[in-house]
Formats: sequence, C-alpha cells, structure tokens
Amino acid sequence: MIRPTRTTGGIAALALALAVVALPLANPAAALAAGSLALFLFWRAWRFERDLFAAATSLAVNRDVDRTILRQGAAATVRVRVDLVTPPGMEIRVRDIPPAVASGGAPLSLPGKAAAYTIRLMAPGETAFGGVVLLASDAFFTRDLACRRPNAPHLRVFPVGTTENGRGTGAGMGDAEVDRRAALAGQGIRGFRPYRSGDDPGQIDWKVSARRDTYYIRQLTGLEGGTPLIAVDLPPRAGDDPATFARFSMAVCGAVEGAITSRDGCSLLVVAGGEVVRFLPRTLDIREALAALGGLAPLEPRAPLYRAPGPAVLAARAARAPGAGAGREERAYRERLGDLLAAFAAQSPAPFAAAVRAALGRAEASEVRLYSLLPIGDRSHLVQIVHEAKVRGMRVVLRAPAGSPALPGVDVVEVL
Amino acid sequence: MTDRGFLLLCAGEVLVVAAGDIMVALILQVIVLAAYLGDRRGYWAFIPAAALFAAVLAVSGHVLLPLLGLAAALGCGYAALTLQDYRLTLWAGDDA
Repeated sequence: MIRPTRTTGGIAALALALAVVALPLANPAAALAAGSLALFLFWRAWRFERDLFAAATSLAVNRDVDRTILRQGAAATVRVRVDLVTPPGMEIRVRDIPPAVASGGAPLSLPGKAAAYTIRLMAPGETAFGGVVLLASDAFFTRDLACRRPNAPHLRVFPVGTTENGRGTGAGMGDAEVDRRAALAGQGIRGFRPYRSGDDPGQIDWKVSARRDTYYIRQLTGLEGGTPLIAVDLPPRAGDDPATFARFSMAVCGAVEGAITSRDGCSLLVVAGGEVVRFLPRTLDIREALAALGGLAPLEPRAPLYRAPGPAVLAARAARAPGAGAGREERAYRERLGDLLAAFAAQSPAPFAAAVRAALGRAEASEVRLYSLLPIGDRSHLVQIVHEAKVRGMRVVLRAPAGSPALPGVDVVEVL
Repeated sequence: MTDRGFLLLCAGEVLVVAAGDIMVALILQVIVLAAYLGDRRGYWAFIPAAALFAAVLAVSGHVLLPLLGLAAALGCGYAALTLQDYRLTLWAGDDA
C-alpha cells in the first residue's frame, strides 16, 4: 500500500487542526479549509496510484547474465537495464531481485541506466530471477512495487561434484559440461620471474623472455607445496563503508573459490581484532568454505590487543638485541634487554598468538594470504599473524586497498 | 516539498480562514493549493470536489454534518483506493 511522506503527515495534521478550530467556532471557512485539504490529499493519492500503474505498464527489463548454466557456488555477473516511462513529478528507482537461492544483492539504479552486480547461486536446480522492484515516490506518497513477471533468463545450477547428463529433448548429441578430473592434473602457472643460475632451462618462457629481452622462468602452482591459508581480517563496525566491504567480501570469496578450484583446497582463518572468529582447516568443499564466509560483517573487536607485539615479535627482538653494541655498557644493556624480552616472550599469556599458531600448524600451509581493509587503529593482531607465519617460514601475501600502510614482515602486497 | 513551502501553505490557510465568506474562501483555497503544487497536472479534478463541499457547507448552514459526510465519503474513497492498489499488486504478480 502507498505510504505517506512527511509532507502528507503535515498537511493531514493541518487539516485536523483546522477541523478542531471550525467545530467550536462554527466557522464554515475553517471547515472548508479542513475538508478541502483532506480532499486534496485523496486526490494526490489517486493520482499517485494512476501514475504508478502507468509506469508499471511501460516497464521493460533487459537482463543479461554472463553464464546461464553454472556450478553451485559459482559467481555470475548480472547486467540489468530497466526502461520505463516516469510520469512528471514522480521519482522512480529500480532494484533487481536476484534468484531466491542466490547470495548477493542488486544495487539501486535509475531507469534507463544499466546496473551490474554479482551473485552466487548456492543451491542446485533451475531458478529464475524474482523480477524487479520499483521504488516510486513523489512529494506526497511512496510505494515499493515488486513486478515479478520480468524474470528471464532462467539459470541452471549443477551441484558440486556431479556431472551434467545433457538432459533435454533431441538426439542427445549436444554439448554438455563434464565435471571430471583428468588422470594427470596439469600445473597452472602462478607467475614469472627472471631466470637465475641453476634454474631448469626447460621452464624458460620464450614468449615472455622475447618480450622482456631477458630470460624469464615460469613459476608453477604445483611447486609451491601445501595449500594456502586465507586469513580474513574483519574490519570494525565503526565507520564501515558497505560498498568497500562488499568488494572486500567478493575478493575473499573469489580467492577461496579460486584456491579450491585450482589447487587441492585451502584453509580459512577469520579474525576480528585479537579474536579468531572462524577457522576452517584444509577444506576441499567450496560449499563449506562459502558457508563459513557467509554472513560475515564488520565486527567490533571484543578482545583488543592494545598494540601488543606478541611473543614472536618479542622473541625476534630478543634475538636481535645483544651483541650489536659498540661499547661495553651498551652491550650489557642490550643483553639485559634481550633477557627481558625473552622472558616476556616466554611467559606472556598471548591466547590470540597461540590460537593463530595452532591454526597455522593445522593448516600446513606454505603461504598465508592476508585480506584486510587495514582500517586506522590497532593492527597488532595482523602483526602477530604475520610474525607467526614467518616463524614457520611461510610466505605472506597481503591484499589491502591501495595506499594502505605497510605491515612489517609481509613479502608481497597486492591491491584489493 | 520544503519546510518553507509548508509554512507558506499554513499561512495561506490562515488567510482562507480569515476570509470569512465561503465563496472567497473557496477561491483562495484553490489558489493557495495551486501555488503550493509544483506539478498541477489533473488539478481540475480537485476543484469541482472542493466546490461541491463548499456548496454543501453553504446550503446546510452547519459545520459538523458536512465534515462528517466528507469523512464518510473519504473513507469510502480510501476503500476504493485500497482495492485499486490491491489490483495493481496482483497485476504486478507481487505476493505482498
């Protein structure tokens, strides 16, 4: 049903006040003013309904999905453009309704403007879009109208681990997607690096070498060893930007999906400040991994670390402290400092560092991919994760927004 | 609509009440509401209804009875509007 705006409420209150004045004073002019204001509001409501009907009948939806046959949990990009005739004085915005089994929401857009968004279909079967919602408003009324009819295209979602049997009418000679592992799994190329003495010449990539005018070696994913650990640092709720967090979530989901499909699984560690929110060791199940990521939202840290460096950093400082001084007094001071730091490192009750250490031990990963928005404030939990990983000899890749400050110990920083 | 526009509408209503004569009040009311509106498309449909109400007020010589009659008529109108909205919802295929 249509909803009144603040203006309509004000006019209704004015009409009521005029009626209250008119009755004891028996003033026909006040009664006329009150009655005509009520009539005016009714006329506006009737006109709003008529305009909304005219807009809805002119609705045309052009929706395009990059793939209509896809696997459960896979991402699909939807581009939608809604055209309709907007009556004068009325403002209409449009929101696409994704399939009921999809995760991810559509943005609001103006008629005639294309909008793009990403969905993940979490349940197998045939499904369709839910239509579009028209959010119409004028100066007096608003109304959300869900138009269910424009629901094309239909999507087919196959469960993970099953094979499409190409069902349908016809001679059965059509192409079908096959989910089957080859007998010899090929090695993907993770990247390229300059040739160093002792490298296998068979791994030289001649195209890249010719382009760069120096020898480049292919780095194969299979040579990395182990599965990656994807660590997600949930940002605090204060000052969060929904769009940025949505991009962050999509990047994390994409990384998990990519790690599971291109390798033999991954481990997932979700932290918020000095607290481990979720940990999923060495999973091969994309549904399990996406379910662990589902419902993630900015979270106010409940166990702040108050910039504590953690035992790994203390131990590293303790190892560095002695022996570097020039004079005898400075050397004695450094030895004393090293002893103190070592004592703190050994006796400091650091449950977060212990939990991270245990998680890294169970993950058996060779690489930690740390996803963080690096918000302003205490980043000691990230420092502790990085140093615990370095103690185990892991490579640490930080993915953060452009312009973020560096974290000590990180090997590679990539822009989200 | 801005708050300033609403204040001007209130001032116009004070002018309508101060007019005293019902005919002058009707003319002023039509002008005030027309000035308040940005888009006057279909405004002609409102003027006869307001004129009819003014005529009933003038003929009856009472204030309460015409106001009660108008409230009843608007109640029926609201029911019709709800029915129209329900039909629109059904046409759009909405479950709500």
